[in-house]
Amino acid sequence: MIGPLLAAAGPQVSQPTTVICGAKPLLVNPVPITYCDVNQDTLISSLVAIAITLVLGFLIARRLRSGRPGKLQMLLEFFLGYVKDLVRDSVGDGADFIIPIAATIGFYILVANWIAFFPLARPIQPAASDVNQTLAMAVVVIVVVQVYSVKVLGFRGYLRRFTKPFELNWAMRVVFIPLNVIEEVAKPITLALRLFGNIFAGLVMVDLLSELPVFLAWIPVTAWKLFDVLFIGAIQAFIFMLLTVIYFGLAREGLEEEGHHGAQAAAAHAQH
Amino acid sequence: MNHAIALAGALIGAGIALGGGAIGAAIGDGLAGNAAIQGQARQPEAAGALRVTMFLIIGLVEAMYFINLVFVFILIGDANIPG
Repeated sequence: MIGPLLAAAGPQVSQPTTVICGAKPLLVNPVPITYCDVNQDTLISSLVAIAITLVLGFLIARRLRSGRPGKLQMLLEFFLGYVKDLVRDSVGDGADFIIPIAATIGFYILVANWIAFFPLARPIQPAASDVNQTLAMAVVVIVVVQVYSVKVLGFRGYLRRFTKPFELNWAMRVVFIPLNVIEEVAKPITLALRLFGNIFAGLVMVDLLSELPVFLAWIPVTAWKLFDVLFIGAIQAFIFMLLTVIYFGLAREGLEEEGHHGAQAAAAHAQH
Repeated sequence: MNHAIALAGALIGAGIALGGGAIGAAIGDGLAGNAAIQGQARQPEAAGALRVTMFLIIGLVEAMYFINLVFVFILIGDANIPG
């Protein structure tokens, strides 16, 4: 019994994958990684999540009332206010473009995680249980972080950031360069794997629990989904958003040490 | 035969990895809860903020375990392909 279970290495995709440009898989083991095909499961569930996010957003925006806000509007205003405070606290002023990025990411992941509470016609995997989806989001975040870092610190300041403990002498700081590079590369990977691992593990658990006889299975499955989908899903969406903001905050490191007389820093400040 | 050996090794390794990871995650959760209780005892009015932060940190701590879990599945899936 354990053999076929493990051979699956977790739940199987319920929809087939569509190969677009007829490429052979790069790797056959452990999972067939193809570089040009579409996982229909992920596509469907992320499209549903995007649709729900957009509809909710536009619905609330259309019904916008000042003075006597509706319940949904109050929730969204609370959420956006929280993100705004978070960005202003941990990144600083003049970085308000991060607010929509972080809020959209957090809201989308929350919706994508929560709709996994309802199985669709065939059990379609939630969007975040595909590592490609989470990795794509993480890479986008990190690329924007690097661009922002170069913009704020200037190219020299950006390179200087990789010699991080600024108070050491230069010989020691050279030693720290590889560590800082590794840290920077590890950021998107851990960001993606954190979300993916949580959602995927929850899915594996549901898969295991549904091996029980049907008249019994609904009790543990419901209990697990209440905990995993609603609670862990919300926490992971929040953590992804929080780390996005924190990485933007880290991208300004060295601005204060370099002093406000530095030409780059002054330019950056004037820009804001 | 080679397949069986590979599978056995993968299963043992997976068990050790999962067990070790669970120990780490449990210790981390315990430390977070401990700190939250201490903070709450000192400043009962900060309980709400502490609870949010505690769950956040628990989420971060357990994420390491879940990353571990994914690698375990990948390893076992890799070893279990015959031939």
